Amino acid sequence: MKYKAYYRPQSVPETVELLASLEGPVVLFAGGTDILIYAREDDRYADSSIVNIFGLPELQGITLLDDEIRIGAGVTHTEIEQSPIIQKYAKVLADACRTIGSLQIRDHATIAGNICNASPAADSLAALAILDAKIEYLHEGKPCELPLVDLIAKPYKTVLTDRDLVTCIRIRRLPEGTQTVFYKLGRRKALAISRMTIALLAHRAADGTVDDFNITVGATFPKPYTFPEINGILLGKKPDPARIAEIAQAISAKIPEIAGIRKSTTFKQPVCRNMTARLLNELFTEA
Amino acid sequence: MKQTLSFTLNHKPYTIEADPCDRFLDVLRNDLSLRGTKEGCGVGECGACTIVINSNAVTSCLVLAGQADGADIMTVEGLSETEIGSVLQRCFIENGAVQCGFCTPGMLMSAYALLQHNPNPTREEIKEAIAGNLCRCTGYVPIVNSIEAAVKSLQS
Ligand SMILES: Cc1cc2nc3c(=O)[nH]c(=O)nc-3n(C[C@@H](O)[C@@H](O)[C@H](O)COP(=O)(O)OP(=O)(O)OC[C@H]3O[C@@H](n4cnc5c(N)ncnc54)[C@H](O)[C@@H]3O)c2cc1C
Ligand code: FES
Ligand code: FES
Repeated sequence: MKYKAYYRPQSVPETVELLASLEGPVVLFAGGTDILIYAREDDRYADSSIVNIFGLPELQGITLLDDEIRIGAGVTHTEIEQSPIIQKYAKVLADACRTIGSLQIRDHATIAGNICNASPAADSLAALAILDAKIEYLHEGKPCELPLVDLIAKPYKTVLTDRDLVTCIRIRRLPEGTQTVFYKLGRRKALAISRMTIALLAHRAADGTVDDFNITVGATFPKPYTFPEINGILLGKKPDPARIAEIAQAISAKIPEIAGIRKSTTFKQPVCRNMTARLLNELFTEA
Repeated sequence: MKQTLSFTLNHKPYTIEADPCDRFLDVLRNDLSLRGTKEGCGVGECGACTIVINSNAVTSCLVLAGQADGADIMTVEGLSETEIGSVLQRCFIENGAVQCGFCTPGMLMSAYALLQHNPNPTREEIKEAIAGNLCRCTGYVPIVNSIEAAVKSLQS
C-alpha cells in the first residue's frame, strides 16, 4: 500500500495530540478489512498519514451501564457475538454480527469500522438503529455524540472528518423479556439486488399489549432509518393479524419511497412485506 | 519506510525491519521467507492466508504488518511443534483432507484456532470455523472428518 507516513499511538490522548499535529489527509486504521480492500483498487492513500488505532486500550471492552450498553469502538464482531452482556441485553446485535463475513473477518474487523465505512449493506447497522445507537467521538479532542441515523449521511459517507476518532457506541439495554429478531437474506457476494436484513425488537406488558416496539430494514436504504410512525401501529395495542399486515405493508412501502423505484424494488418490496409479516406472526404466536 | 517490528512467531521472538503498511502476508512470505502461508484471493474471501494472531484466526492478506508489532503469531510452520497442530496434520493426511494442498495451511490454522478455544466442538461448530476457508478439491467432508478425528485423538 502506498502511503505518506505511518503512526501507531499508544493511547487516545496520544492519538488526539498526533491528529492535531498531522498535515494532509489522515486515515484512521482499525481492522483494515475495508481499507485494505480499497487500497488494492488504486493509490488513494498515497498522500495520507496512516494512524493505526487497532488495539488502543480505551477503545476496547463492552460495559453494562444503567440503561445502556457501552461498546468500545475497537471491539470486534466476534467479541460482540460472544459477549454475555450483548447476548442478554441486546441479542439482536449479537445475531447481526454473527452473520458478518467469515470467522477470520469477524475476529479482526471492528464495529466502528463497520459503521464508519457506512456501506448501505453493512450488517450491524439495522440492529444498531433499532437499539437507538449513539456514536461518541472526539472532534479536535472534544467529546461529541450523534445518533447513528444522523452520523451516516449517505452511502459510504459519514458526517465525521478524517480526524474525528470514534471512541464508543452506546446502545439501549433492553429490559428483560424483550424479544428480538435479526433476519438476513442473501450473502455479501450475492448481488445487492437480493440483499436485505430485517431487525426488530418487541416487548409486551403483562396484559399482552405491546409496550416497546422498533422495526427496520437494512441493506435497502442509502443510510439507516427508524420509523416511529410504523412502530406506533403496534405500540399500546395487542398484536393481531390485521395490525401485523399493516406494519408489513407500511415498512415495505418505504422501499420505493426512500430508495426510489429501481430494479431491486420489484423484488425487495414483496419479500420485505412477506418476511415482516412472517417474522412478526412467529414472534407473537410463540410462547 | 521500514520500521522495527517485534513479535513472537511460532513461539520464537523476532525483531525485524519491515514496512509497517505492507500486508503481514507479504512480510511472512517475502521478508521472512516463510512460504507455508498461501495467497489465494487477496481480499479476505478464500482463507488460504489464514494465520493465528493472539489466539484468533485471521486472514493475513488483510492484516497490516504494523498490527503484528507486539503480537503472538502462529503460522503453519509452527504447527508441528504443538500437540494440537501435529495431531491435526496427521489426521488431515490420514483422512484424505489434502489433495492439491493449496487450502491446507489455512484450513489447519482455522482448525488449530478452533481447538484452542473449544477442545470439544460439534460438527456444526467445525463447519462454522472453516466456513471462511475455500477448498476446490475435497468437497469439505474429509476436512471436517479430519478435525473430528483430531478431537478424538487429542481426548484419548
Ligand atoms: C471477505 C469480507 C467479507 C465481509 N463480509 C461482510 C458482511 O457480511 N457484512 C458486513 O457488514 N460487512 C462485511 N465485510 C466488511 C466488514 O469487515 C467491515 O465493514 C468491517 O466491520 C470494518 O471494520 P475494520 O475495523 O476492518 O475497519 P477499517 O477497514 O479499519 O476502517 C473502515 C473505515 O472506518 C474508519 N474507522 C474505523 N475505526 C474508526 C474509529 N474508531 N473512528 C473513526 N473512524 C474509524 C476508517 O477510517 C475507515 O474509513 C466483509 C469484509 C470482507 C473483507
Ligand atoms: S488470500 Fe487472504 S483470504 Fe484469500
Ligand atoms: S485440497 Fe485443493 S483446494 Fe483444498
